[in-house]
Amino acid sequence: MIRELAFIDVLYLIAAMRWTLALTAIAFAGGAVVGLSVALLRVSPVAPLRWLAMLYVHAVQGTPLLAWLFVFFFGLSIVGITVSPWIAAAAAYSIYAGAFLGEIWRGCLQSIPRTQWEAGASLGLSFTEQLRHVIIPQAVRVAIPPTVGFLVQLIKNTSLAAVIGFVELTREGQLTTATTFRPFSVYLIVAALYFALCFPLTRWSRRLEGRLHVAR
Amino acid sequence: MSLVDLRDVVKRYGPLTVLDGVSLSVEKGEIIAIIGRSGSGKSTLLRCVNGLEPIQGGAVTFAGTVVNDPGTDLRKLRQQVGIVFQSFNLFPHLSVERNITLAPTVVKGMDRRAARELARTVLRKVGLEEKIDAYPDRLSGGQQQRVAIARSLAMSPQLMLFDEITSALDPELVGEVLKVLEEMAADGMTMMLVTHEMGFARKVASRVVFMHQGKVWEQGPAAQTLARPRTPELETFLSAVLH
Repeated sequence: MIRELAFIDVLYLIAAMRWTLALTAIAFAGGAVVGLSVALLRVSPVAPLRWLAMLYVHAVQGTPLLAWLFVFFFGLSIVGITVSPWIAAAAAYSIYAGAFLGEIWRGCLQSIPRTQWEAGASLGLSFTEQLRHVIIPQAVRVAIPPTVGFLVQLIKNTSLAAVIGFVELTREGQLTTATTFRPFSVYLIVAALYFALCFPLTRWSRRLEGRLHVAR
Repeated sequence: MSLVDLRDVVKRYGPLTVLDGVSLSVEKGEIIAIIGRSGSGKSTLLRCVNGLEPIQGGAVTFAGTVVNDPGTDLRKLRQQVGIVFQSFNLFPHLSVERNITLAPTVVKGMDRRAARELARTVLRKVGLEEKIDAYPDRLSGGQQQRVAIARSLAMSPQLMLFDEITSALDPELVGEVLKVLEEMAADGMTMMLVTHEMGFARKVASRVVFMHQGKVWEQGPAAQTLARPRTPELETFLSAVLH
């Protein structure tokens, strides 16, 4: 039944943001763990480890996130493993975000001149000590803008989780449209809510970048 | 036994042979100035001594340890052999103090307070004690290079390698860095330095080694070798750099 778009619908949309946020948090946390491992493997002195990490990145970047969600949610249930939507989403988003963050962070690590590694090595620091004390602290500053940029993409990409049953912001928008038949107003509100999440992040990244720059 | 011993060292980058059978011995307390045209292998030679460059033939020995042996712990070796680079290579995110104390605290396990005292001591040697809390980008090139020297000295090395350390400096800043080197020489430090400062080489070095086409072309006591070159190549090189 079609009814008017009311204030309560806006509140429902706002409430649905919590799933968007929860999915983003899980995706980013999982992606950070995977991504850090991938980035470190990509700069490792052991060539087979570098290849393995590169293979992973290429495989994931060349496949749609939607496919990973399907594989974990529907695919596993076909072979008799039932997974909750949360587990499926966590796995799919970690794999996806891990590949992209891994590539971003590898680039940041490699943007630190080779001479910095050499200076560390010449003082007797081991590979991991060079990473920890010399390379990573400098790479972090470089990493902030692209990482936040990716985080903003991630927030928006959590809408894909609707296909495995999550009623997050975009899906809630769809449902509201179905009952009110006011797509223009509803999606404008949805867009504004996404903006309210993403814009402060971008601002915060700028500030952080500036502050870390002063500290060098 | 010599402190450093290079025997028939061969270094190739793909088809390019950079070191073509280099043999050189350095005794404790010697100051070796390595000169030659760019591309003659001087810097590569220096970097082989602390294992920064893997070699394809021959042997590099430091204090009885074979540097190019895969079983050698290069971390231990590098605590004994300091190197200072043309481009300073200070850690830009760390203060002067942390630049100096990083390796002593992380590698040798020294506590932070003792390390700060050590930083003061080595900074005094290079005349920069008041810069202990500064960050590298607040320092002039000459000051940065002196901090880099202090950072190496903090590990109390037995040998110091200097790779064209004044080449990236403005002319008026060269003097302050060379002065530090002279003082280290007077303290009896064993040094190998790649340099274009012929006046300095003549004055401070005990021996001059002229590299040409990846070989030790000519070597001998500094003043004599620079004044009376025996090979036409060194003569040509000297007349080119002195004018």
